[in-house]
Amino acid sequence: MPYHFPDDRPVTFRERVYFPEIIRGLGIVSRHFFRNLFFGRETTPDVLERTRRGSLNATLAYPEEKVPYPPGYRGLHRLVPREDGRPRCVACYMCATACPAQCIYIEAAEVEGDPIEKYPKKFVIDELRCVVCGFCVEACPKDAIRMDTGEHALPSYGRREQVLDETRLLRGPAVSYRYDPWLRREAPGIPPRQLEAMKARARPFHTVASDEGSQTPGFSVKALAEEAKGRGGA
Amino acid sequence: MTRFVGMVVFLGGLAVALVALGAGFYLLAGFAAGISVSWGGPPEYGAAVANLLTLMLVVVMVTAAALVVAERKWSAMMQDRMGPNRIKVFGATLGGMPFLVADALKMLTKENVQPEARSRALYNLAPVLAFAPVFALFAVVPVGPKVQVLGYQVALQVASPDAGLLYLFAIASLAVYGTTLAGWASNNKLAMLGGVRASSQMISYEVSLGMSLVGTMVVFQSLRIEEMVAAQAQAVWGWLPAWGLFLQPVGFLVFFASAFAETKRAPFDLPEGESEIIGYFIEYSGMKFGMFMLSEFVEVVILAGIITAIFLGGGHPLLVSPERLRELVGSPLAYGAVSAAIFLAKVLFLCYLQFAVRWALPRFRYDQIQRLCWKMLLPTALANAFVTAAAFLLDRPGSLEVVTWIGVAEMAGIAVLTVAVARSPEPAGHDDHGHAAPVPAGH
Repeated sequence: MPYHFPDDRPVTFRERVYFPEIIRGLGIVSRHFFRNLFFGRETTPDVLERTRRGSLNATLAYPEEKVPYPPGYRGLHRLVPREDGRPRCVACYMCATACPAQCIYIEAAEVEGDPIEKYPKKFVIDELRCVVCGFCVEACPKDAIRMDTGEHALPSYGRREQVLDETRLLRGPAVSYRYDPWLRREAPGIPPRQLEAMKARARPFHTVASDEGSQTPGFSVKALAEEAKGRGGA
Repeated sequence: MTRFVGMVVFLGGLAVALVALGAGFYLLAGFAAGISVSWGGPPEYGAAVANLLTLMLVVVMVTAAALVVAERKWSAMMQDRMGPNRIKVFGATLGGMPFLVADALKMLTKENVQPEARSRALYNLAPVLAFAPVFALFAVVPVGPKVQVLGYQVALQVASPDAGLLYLFAIASLAVYGTTLAGWASNNKLAMLGGVRASSQMISYEVSLGMSLVGTMVVFQSLRIEEMVAAQAQAVWGWLPAWGLFLQPVGFLVFFASAFAETKRAPFDLPEGESEIIGYFIEYSGMKFGMFMLSEFVEVVILAGIITAIFLGGGHPLLVSPERLRELVGSPLAYGAVSAAIFLAKVLFLCYLQFAVRWALPRFRYDQIQRLCWKMLLPTALANAFVTAAAFLLDRPGSLEVVTWIGVAEMAGIAVLTVAVARSPEPAGHDDHGHAAPVPAGH
């Protein structure tokens, strides 16, 4: 035999008697039983974080408890809103053009009282056709579509429910940037006081590509760029 | 931590509830004895009827039904799972207990599908024959001692025939008819195989079942189970309670294994096997199947009760002598109630032990089952009977010292073997002579 099994040995007398081994087995089973009986289950979503000092139960009661997805996870789309509740989207069709699955449908309309700006009157994504490639997020010049919801496509009884329109897509925290054209030219569609608030909250530039949270731990584009700047090179 | 405190409180509450239950049973038995006397009959008749209702219907049936859920929940705990928890009453899972109702409702309302070519009468008779004998076994189990309650001497025992243990063997061997007839009457080859397996397994193990108790019969010099319990109240060397476990450890192990095989539960569940033959009950559905399933759990309770009575000293407390307990609690009713509670607690522990065995051991192969019975358990039981009888003859009359010495020596031997964990063997293949393990020729 070219290899041997570690257990490939004659059965000892002790094992032939059965009962000592059975009693040991009962001890093991009972230890598990009483630890799980007297101590509650640890509910930390990260199973590896659990101490396993009391209960040995490693179950995650799924629909009630969920493991959070990692930061870079591409989940369901969302249309990023502005502070005034309207989408950041300017209906440029870049995402719909980039989409390899052709699952994005946009109908543009002009903003009332604003001669320049457009907005999506209709913005529909068929999540069943979506291949979750993230090209739409990459293509968007206004950081108006993101896949950072951390949710996967929900189960449903019909295919219609998987077709999300702008009312269901527009959600999540609002975002503003200082270079946003509607802030720089102080678009007439936005009331002045709202405009001030948006300007106050606006971030300098959008950081989706170098989002620290979505990077591999230990790797940071920002840090490398800072270091290169310090070297005075590149 | 809250769960720890909660479980301690729960277990304490369980102990109190068992004592209250025992007291209630005693009062009911005394009350029924009074009614029996007022009608001109002996008090034993009334007490027996009351015990029939309380012990057999309440204790056995409720425990067996609860074990159906416990089987799932305890198994989950032993395997680090959560177990049944989807039914919630006001947001609390209550340890899975609502499944008791759900399972019963499911069983009762299921469609009763019957094979066309069945043997009609036997097909309907089989679940009854499987259920009734195991149920009748509990009649001779002495849950509580005879005490004075409401002016009558009552014991928590339905019947105490002179041939107590023989009654046990006789009725236990009837249970095989239910499974065998179920297999035959279903007109199904797989059911037939299950029935044949069940009959051969149960008939085999009845031999070692009977032989393993010969030692206890010799030691306690009685066949009546309540007299065996009373005999276990004495102390050997002034401190060791003369429990069957200490006098007859080998007899205990052989009896436990044989009776376990009689219950047809894992690891002896050859009559049923989801992956090969479904089982002798394959053609049964609805409550008829439920009878088979419930009879299995009733058998678990009965086996626990019999072992408690014969080997674990019945209702005798563990740390203090029964006389001391009688002085401590005062009234006879309280003594009886505490004794019954201790008995029931031991029964619960043994039920747990059987479930633990179920998950500790893998299933036997069929030839292994027969080999275990005929080549290990039966010779061991015979040797145990001879050794015990010889030791009993060597003893001075009325003392059990030699028997106890042998029993304690056997226990010590098992303990040493258990504690002496085998060191991992030297890896084979490093020596020049080939492997340490013999390799069968042709491989």
